Amino acid sequence: MTYLRELWRYREVLWNLIRRNLKVRYKNSVLGFFWSLLNPLMQIGVWWFVFKIILQNPEPNYMAYLITGFLPWLFFSQTVLDSTACVTQEMALVKKAYFPRALLPLSALMSNLIHLGLAFVVLLGLFAAWRVDVNVYWLLVIPSTALIAVFAYGLSTMLAAWSVFYADVKFIIGNLMGLWFFLTPVLYPVFMVLRRVEMAGENWLVRMLEHALPAIKMAYLADPVAIGILGYRSALLHGGENPIMVPGEPAMEAALRAQYPIGCYVVAAVLIAVVVAVAGQLVFNRLADLFAERG
Amino acid sequence: MNVIEVVDLWKQYRRPHQRVTTLKEAVLAFLRGQTGYEEFWALKGLSFSVGPGETIGVIGPNGSGKSTLLGLLAGVLKPTLGRVQVNGRICPLLGLGTGFHPDLTGRENVYLNASLLGLGRREIRACYDDIVEFAELEDVMEAPLKTYSTGMMVRLGFSVAVHLDPDLLLIDEVLSVGDEHFQHKSFDKLMSLKEQGKTFFVVSHDLNALLKLCDRALWLDSGNMVADTGCEEVITAYRRVVAEGEQRAREARLRQGSG
Repeated sequence: MTYLRELWRYREVLWNLIRRNLKVRYKNSVLGFFWSLLNPLMQIGVWWFVFKIILQNPEPNYMAYLITGFLPWLFFSQTVLDSTACVTQEMALVKKAYFPRALLPLSALMSNLIHLGLAFVVLLGLFAAWRVDVNVYWLLVIPSTALIAVFAYGLSTMLAAWSVFYADVKFIIGNLMGLWFFLTPVLYPVFMVLRRVEMAGENWLVRMLEHALPAIKMAYLADPVAIGILGYRSALLHGGENPIMVPGEPAMEAALRAQYPIGCYVVAAVLIAVVVAVAGQLVFNRLADLFAERG
Repeated sequence: MNVIEVVDLWKQYRRPHQRVTTLKEAVLAFLRGQTGYEEFWALKGLSFSVGPGETIGVIGPNGSGKSTLLGLLAGVLKPTLGRVQVNGRICPLLGLGTGFHPDLTGRENVYLNASLLGLGRREIRACYDDIVEFAELEDVMEAPLKTYSTGMMVRLGFSVAVHLDPDLLLIDEVLSVGDEHFQHKSFDKLMSLKEQGKTFFVVSHDLNALLKLCDRALWLDSGNMVADTGCEEVITAYRRVVAEGEQRAREARLRQGSG
């Protein structure tokens, strides 16, 4: 409680840090703010070209599919990457002045939330062009974003604190994000992971994975980022429907929905996010006193 | 109420034998069974209190714990043992390269720094013009800080610090920066703050400046308080000890040369 009051007392600092983050990201660029809109669009354009034109993805509006998955992913990954560096980059400030150190990861989170909001403007424009209906299920975007934000904040605080002591954290997390991207359903529908598959070839890795596969799939679906992305899709494209979908195969769809009750996974994802957030904050606060002397 | 209350303050640092900054080095050091740290006390049980309006100089040789003491007073460092209590608003530690951001303009940096002091936007706006005028940077406030010279940055930092009306001003070795003109100007400003009854803490090797600015001086040596009384007394004693040290060194050299 006293901690929250302390944060509130320093809100002006938070505001200044956010403005600083927003400004510094696109320093020296002519297009400035437009990059937070152009960047995701260009990235999506590349994937669209590869997966729709070359690989003939059957999804009817694959562009809409990509953008609804990529915006929440970008918000998550950018927040975590920015926060990992946030304390080490601000050492000059940390060594000179007292302020609640949690303002640093918090400002990274908030600035990325603002970028997400801006990117959403583009999404709305595209949706208007595609004549996608606006309906009440769109509100699902808010809890989905909140879920990702809480989870990202927890990871951020933890990584920000550790990277003061070990520079390795930054490199590890950079690579991990590359892997994590493919472990979330941005590019492909979630049933492709959940359905039963015969693994090609017989080697030790396949055999080992086969035993762990049910657990891996459960973990895959309980990932707060995956649930957040599914929430976005369900809200914006499918009118709030269960996001586990198998186009053209209702039997498999029903089986998967029974096997993976989405409600339970949402609860699990929320729990994971909250636990990570609390743990992250605890780690951060415990190490924060040492930032100035070890940085 | 006292502005500063320091009770039996100890500060321990861990100084790595070999700087371990990567996981690999940490794992290797761990496997070899090295703790990798040598612990040393930067401050060893300081106690003092400072009333409102006192102006205090801190002197002592390099590595005696002066900057550590300022860091603890600023709340940037945490005491290992003991207690530091500061009542009132503390200005961010004023030293070279104060928490300024090179990509932001001078104006934005002033706002950022002032907000660290707990000032709202309206209060900052009220003294903004004075800050700029004192720093003599009217023409460049909209330019990013990286285009400033070192002297300009220090001037801005000093000007922000003295105009935001903190209860306690911590100054680390910035008396002798800036050009001759600004040195005089900042010195005069500190003198007038002193007359207004502000409390400040100055770490400096410029003993003559301290003599004029401060009523009281703390003399630190390897983390111990050697003396804490009137400024003149302490500085006289300090000069004598330094001179004796030099004398001994000279004699030792002579003996070596003749022997």
